[in-house]
Amino acid sequence: MSDVAVRDDLAEAHRLAWEHVASPGSWWTGAQRVELGSTVLLSIADDDPLPPWVGVSTSDRLPAERVAPDAAHDAAYRIARHAGTMTEDVFRRFADELGELPYVELCAVVSSVAAVVHFRRNVGLDIPPFPAPIDGEPTGERPNELADAELNWVPVAAPADEAAAVVQAYTGVPGEMTNTWRMASAQYIPVEEMIHADWSRRSGGLTRPQTELVAARVAQLRECFY
Amino acid sequence: MLSWSSANAGDDVDLTGVADGSGGLDIDHGDELLRFATACGERDDDALADARAVLTAATDEAFMVDAAAVAANFEMMTRLADSTGARMPSEVLEARAGMIGAMGVAELTSRR
Repeated sequence: MSDVAVRDDLAEAHRLAWEHVASPGSWWTGAQRVELGSTVLLSIADDDPLPPWVGVSTSDRLPAERVAPDAAHDAAYRIARHAGTMTEDVFRRFADELGELPYVELCAVVSSVAAVVHFRRNVGLDIPPFPAPIDGEPTGERPNELADAELNWVPVAAPADEAAAVVQAYTGVPGEMTNTWRMASAQYIPVEEMIHADWSRRSGGLTRPQTELVAARVAQLRECFY
Repeated sequence: MLSWSSANAGDDVDLTGVADGSGGLDIDHGDELLRFATACGERDDDALADARAVLTAATDEAFMVDAAAVAANFEMMTRLADSTGARMPSEVLEARAGMIGAMGVAELTSRR
């Protein structure tokens, strides 16, 4: 692997993301989150991926002893590798089994791990191991009020639909919202700069059109309509 | 966002060149960035190493790292959007009809 200098804010966001995976969430323990993160690594690296409709828990690809439920591993594997195939019916099956907010937290673990894994591959660096899980029960943290959304399948912090769907998607699990937007600020654009078409991280850095070119191509390759 | 930011910069980007990976874009280092983004999203490690080297040679390492981070961000955001059923309001969809056609995404499962 190569030796690439990663700017400090980005390295710190990814270090915190790994630490976050290993910490108790609102609905999953640190041990469960690390185990599910490992399923994300498996899914993304899988050279012979399971089709979307086959649950990884029915294969022999997971460790025999597991602390997270099979449905959580199945969802993690599918979202990590086949997110563009998700339908509302599939979401509903997972949410009915896991709970809506635990499902949201699981999505956030998957998406944040995927970002770190792909970044490391993109620049030619090894993927660091997850930290040891931090003991403790899930915190149960949730917004004061939840609302059904028109723009998402998942419930969000009230009031719904006053922000873009991707902005409100994880508001039902505040810790994941914080981690995701910290990562997005370091990887893409700080939220407060989104409206500025001429924003650049530094002189000589990516211009906004250059940034959006990369974004559009990756989103298209992932078959993400949004 | 690409159309919007390019228009603000005075450029006219042909989205079909992004959609099919053929390039020819009126953006500085557009072809090197498109090749790199494509390699980031595909699974050929040798092609990625080549694309990384080409982009770094044309710009610098920090620029390549920034592009890699943007690609990684959209590995995160696409999963966020598709797993939570994120959709755009109908008026936004109507306004983006041209882009949707040019990018060839109208028939995707993820269109909601």
